[in-house]
Amino acid sequence: MSLRRSLAIIRHEYVVMFTDPSTLIFILIIPLVMVAMMQQLFDQQLAAEGFPGANGSEFAIPGMAVGFGAFGVSYAGFTFFRDHGWGTWDRLRAAPISSVELITGKVVPTVSVTVLQLAILFLLGGPLFDFSVKGSVVAIALIIVVLAVSLSAFGMAVTAVSRTMQQLNAIGSVGAFGMAMLGGTWVPVDAMPGWAQAVAPAMPTYWAMKGFRSVILEAGGVGDVVVPLLVLIGFGIVFTILAAARFRLEESKAYYG
Amino acid sequence: MLHVQGLRKAYGDVIALRGVDVDVARGEITCLLGPNGAGKTTLVSIVAGLRRPDAGVVEVDGLDATSRSVEVRQRIGLAPQDLGLYPVVSVRRNLQLFGRLAGLRPRELATRIDEVAAALRITDLLDRQGGTLSGGQKRRVHTAIALLHRPPLLLLDEATTGADVETRQHILDLVRQLTAEGSAVLYSTHYLQEVEDLGASVALLDAGTVIARGSVDRLIAEHADPVVEMTFHTEVPAVVADADASVDGRRVRVAAPDPAATLASILPKLPAGALDTVEIVRPSLESVYLALTGRRYDEADTEASKEAEHVAPT
Repeated sequence: MSLRRSLAIIRHEYVVMFTDPSTLIFILIIPLVMVAMMQQLFDQQLAAEGFPGANGSEFAIPGMAVGFGAFGVSYAGFTFFRDHGWGTWDRLRAAPISSVELITGKVVPTVSVTVLQLAILFLLGGPLFDFSVKGSVVAIALIIVVLAVSLSAFGMAVTAVSRTMQQLNAIGSVGAFGMAMLGGTWVPVDAMPGWAQAVAPAMPTYWAMKGFRSVILEAGGVGDVVVPLLVLIGFGIVFTILAAARFRLEESKAYYG
Repeated sequence: MLHVQGLRKAYGDVIALRGVDVDVARGEITCLLGPNGAGKTTLVSIVAGLRRPDAGVVEVDGLDATSRSVEVRQRIGLAPQDLGLYPVVSVRRNLQLFGRLAGLRPRELATRIDEVAAALRITDLLDRQGGTLSGGQKRRVHTAIALLHRPPLLLLDEATTGADVETRQHILDLVRQLTAEGSAVLYSTHYLQEVEDLGASVALLDAGTVIARGSVDRLIAEHADPVVEMTFHTEVPAVVADADASVDGRRVRVAAPDPAATLASILPKLPAGALDTVEIVRPSLESVYLALTGRRYDEADTEASKEAEHVAPT
């Protein structure tokens, strides 16, 4: 495998991605606005849960970051559909690169942007919302990276089963919405109905939030997030297997727009 | 340089290739000629590694295209039929991406971009966004991408479709130049005139089969006589519709090694006022196609275009 050729695609993907400022608006500005709007709600919820010193950002920052991270993973699929629409997919496939190099070049930007998105939201949380982490920053970083990989694998699985852009949008949005809502990123799991609480552990976002909570509010370290990390890795493996089993490089995908 | 043998491909019930054999040597242009739907794009796509054949052998420079696909693609420059450019970045960035993927180092890449830009007269367009170019300009950039890494085998699929006269001429000139420098070129087209302009050897493809192979002159000598074509206001008169004539409604075609003599013998025997038009069709690739398939090339092209709207593109 040639890292140089994957890097060429990765670099190109970044250039293309940031020709459209709506990407930046969606992944950073909207989550920050949501945090500002909902922080006070979570302030009261956290106080009721036994964290009287919390100001709400301890839930709102990771919640919005993970929730919007889940929505962003459709971008992994979008890059494939976009290349089909622009006629560049066949050109990429005709280039002297292996399929692994090609897929790596396409997926790494999505993973890295999700990592950056979460990291920037956490970093901006301090000055903007008085957000602080009681526990290990390394544990936070590990959760962010593993979550980004897992969500991108989910995006690839959705891409693999979608034949049209509409399918990608529909399946990706339903999946992301389900992960955000049922995973307890927008509403704390304890405040959700009983049936939703029962379903929540089936969402990778639930485990990310569980890990973040133990570090941010309960001063946890890396050892305290091992279980959430392993479960997230498990989700990533399952999504990757699904994507690999169904994805066909030569399959045509219909891009509208 | 390219060896294709027994290539077969079907899309469900639609058979695109029925056992195609084609060889292209270094310094040779082989035109893959056939109407829309003949299987040209499928053949080019399989050689380029974009589709898997159901059966058959594809070798490039002695390398099996299936088992050593990356090495084979290193030797191929493909300009697909459909334009492929990133519209939101500059032409230069488009070229840089594909040059890097082809393994060109930065200094060499910069040099090659300048060279292919000059050859295809797109130097002034290098810093323009791909999406702002005209169709002909896009076609030239699209072709330039295929040439960046000096591929010994060039696959041009309908390279002049939608191109203006100037662009078409640039591309044809470049194909001749590359061939003179030793490249092998597989040039897929449904324009008969381009084949004759290029002076290429021909693989005439019809319904997924190579029905004739050779130089234009040889194919004409082997398969085509001049044809006298007449249309009538009435049914074709019996005096014309004999065993040697091909009748199609009110039109009749008569193979005529000596058209003047043929007309001199037929015209006096026709009923007055029956004849509408007379045309002497000089032997050409169209005559070869007509002789081998019994159909006029432009009609086959039109029919195939209509069918192609309902089935998978081939």
